[in-house]
Amino acid sequence: MIQALAFYVMAAVTVLAALAVVGARNPVHSVLFLITAFFSAAGLFVLLGAEFLAMLLVVVYVGAVAVLFLFVVMMLDIDFAKLKAGFAQYLPIGGLVGGILATEMILVALAVGREGAAAKNALPDANAGGASNIEAIGQVLYTDYSYFFEAAGLILLVAMIGAIVLTLRHKPHVKRQDIGAQVARTPKKGMEVVQIKPGSGVEL
Amino acid sequence: MTAFLLQYLPIVIFLGVAVAIGLVFMVGALVVAPSAPDAEKLSAYECGFPAFEDSRMKFDVRFYLVSILFIIFDLEVAFLFPWAVTLMKMPHGAQIFAFTSMMVFLADLTLGYVYVWKKGALEWE
Amino acid sequence: MTIGLAHYLTVAAILFTIGVFGIFVNRKNIIVILMSIELILLAVNINLVAFSAYLHDITGQIFAMFVLTVAAAEAAVGLAILVTFFRNRGDIEVDDASVMKG
Repeated sequence: MIQALAFYVMAAVTVLAALAVVGARNPVHSVLFLITAFFSAAGLFVLLGAEFLAMLLVVVYVGAVAVLFLFVVMMLDIDFAKLKAGFAQYLPIGGLVGGILATEMILVALAVGREGAAAKNALPDANAGGASNIEAIGQVLYTDYSYFFEAAGLILLVAMIGAIVLTLRHKPHVKRQDIGAQVARTPKKGMEVVQIKPGSGVEL
Repeated sequence: MTAFLLQYLPIVIFLGVAVAIGLVFMVGALVVAPSAPDAEKLSAYECGFPAFEDSRMKFDVRFYLVSILFIIFDLEVAFLFPWAVTLMKMPHGAQIFAFTSMMVFLADLTLGYVYVWKKGALEWE
Repeated sequence: MTIGLAHYLTVAAILFTIGVFGIFVNRKNIIVILMSIELILLAVNINLVAFSAYLHDITGQIFAMFVLTVAAAEAAVGLAILVTFFRNRGDIEVDDASVMKG
């Protein structure tokens, strides 16, 4: 009973927040609604017994991706009113396509929910057999799915290098600290004793 | 299923209390506080002056770089959690394999970290 | 009234549609387009996790993790491109970016 109530509340919050993401006038508000949507989707994951993914959603999406979006929205000062133009113009066609898409997908969802292979199953007890959700994931992720796992690592590597190549620009004429050179400096390198003949200058 | 969900009851109660307190303060302020808005009261007074420019200013792009690196290493740590929990419970052969695959994963990201370090993306000039 | 698979699939379908709708109506605002893509990927994740739970198979959750990874990488690189574009043009009009030129 409470479970059903929790599902309806969180599903409603997710959907309404998603609508607000799309419709908000100010992109900062969009980002904040995106955080709400992710947070309540994490609640849905908990209801499904996927604790670890729920945690991941909060840590990665709310903690990092949404903050990244917030940074970018605040980093670029843009005339947002101009960007909002055309909203009403595309509303009918967007609504039409969205309506058709939603109808089709909900019909399929209802059919799968009634007669699909998974429809008769009940939710399993998440801690059955003494293994929690995170252990069940760990048992297969690093062995059966190790290629996918390494591919994920490579994707992260490419994202890191790509982001740096795209955005990093060193300002010219900025003196930067080189700690290695500082530490390696010896008295011999640091100073020079010059014998000067009287009457002549010094050439450096 | 319910036994599992009951573990989350404290969080639900916590959220409920948090929302209730937040609402009480907001609604209370609306109900109790005197409010007689007036354009003159809101205008700048004598030594004050209207703002010269928008209060929003551009961030340095370095903040963005730091937060990107944070995302990447955040996900790396997320992949470490299940590994840390299960490694010691695996059978021996699978254990060695899982250890190796995680070490390769970490080597990838260390490579990226060395690149970031050499490029000077972590320095604030 | 029990919550079944169909309920979760319906929520995911609605979220997916909202994401597509967001791409349609915010055609000029590329930041909101990126956020709509995140919503679409979230809908995919809900589908994967719901099937994983009801089929009693953990594979769906593993793939949801990979989708999460790809989504984060996509956000990072997409926003990096956006920042570079803004630096070159001083604006983020996507309509101007229709010509590929070095």
